[in-house]
Amino acid sequence: MFNIDLQSRTPIYEQLYKKVVELILKNELKPGDKLPSVRELAKSLGVNPNTVSKAFQLLERDKFIYSLVGRGSFISNVSADDLRESSFADFDRAVAEALDAGATKQELIDRINKAEP
Amino acid sequence: MIELKNVKMSFEDFNALDGVDLTIGEGTAFGLLGSNGAGKSTILRLLSGVYKQTSGEVLIDGEPVYDNVSAKSKVFFINDETVQFGSMTLSDMRNYYKGFYPNFSDEIFDKLNAVIKLPEKKRLDKFSKGMKRQAIVITGLASGTDYLLLDEAFDGLDPTMRIIVKRMLVDAMLDRKLTAVISSHNLKEINEVCDTAALLHQGKLLFNRDLDSVKGSIQKVQAVFDKDYTEKEFGNLNILHYEKNQSITYLIIKGTEEEIREELGKKDPKVLDMIPLTLEEVFIYEMEGMGYDFNSIQ
Repeated sequence: MFNIDLQSRTPIYEQLYKKVVELILKNELKPGDKLPSVRELAKSLGVNPNTVSKAFQLLERDKFIYSLVGRGSFISNVSADDLRESSFADFDRAVAEALDAGATKQELIDRINKAEP
Repeated sequence: MIELKNVKMSFEDFNALDGVDLTIGEGTAFGLLGSNGAGKSTILRLLSGVYKQTSGEVLIDGEPVYDNVSAKSKVFFINDETVQFGSMTLSDMRNYYKGFYPNFSDEIFDKLNAVIKLPEKKRLDKFSKGMKRQAIVITGLASGTDYLLLDEAFDGLDPTMRIIVKRMLVDAMLDRKLTAVISSHNLKEINEVCDTAALLHQGKLLFNRDLDSVKGSIQKVQAVFDKDYTEKEFGNLNILHYEKNQSITYLIIKGTEEEIREELGKKDPKVLDMIPLTLEEVFIYEMEGMGYDFNSIQ
């Protein structure tokens, strides 16, 4: 579930962070679900535990997860809809900027059609 | 904590280390990178008390290492020259190290040997090279020290053994804040196992940084500008490589993606593609910058 590409140019902690966010968006991780421990993840991925901790710290800072001492880390009460809504906010801003810069509605639609599913 | 303060090490007329300052905090996995003869093994030998530095200080938890039993009992050195005690058996060797390392764990030793099944009663000089390697690695993992030095340690191990060692390191780092110092040529392995790394070249330290920041530290850029810019006109950027092919400018630039985007953005590029270099590429460019030019050897 937490497969990452160790050969990638993207730092391992960043990949892990994105993976968790992606799983929340896809509703595969739901609020209250327990994440594997730093130890389990580091061992199964064959990576440094400090790297895994770093990803967890960032996820906690951004309120995607919360941790309970001695019990582990859990997915926060953010729903996939909330996250989607926040990505729409970025989208709306980008659309406004493009329109300001003289793009036409059709150009934007073409772009959306070209976007990968 | 490991500290090297302005350490110099000379062998007759050869300076293996030429003023190295290095601090390694506890609970880290530290990678020592560098070409052959850069000084990696010399650092590990100083940290384990095999050598005495010519000048400077080598400290473990604030204590000098050389000729100091209390500092040395915190360190296990997995040497690349495998086993020195040919006439001993594996159980002799275990007992020998048990006498020296107070936290030696028979439980870990037996658990590991249950997986790899080395013969306990056979003389070590009858072991194959790979078996000798395994013998010293499981002894090192069982020794329960705060510091574990691995000299090219992964190189002689098969894939299963590599995974076992990595998992053992994870446990030891989390359970007792083990500090591992790993020298290697294998950047892939360093990238996975280590969080911090230093690059040595001709006895000097070129950099010592968080690996994640090393990865994003140099960018490969392809850009198309309206105007013809010469290399000099990118003066504000730290350019390692410049090449122009028809309308496309290829640049290797030191810096973060944001600062480079901002600076190049001022020249109004029509196309601006940027990808960070891999660890391997960073390594090669850093070495090139020091005159270690692999392109000249073809």
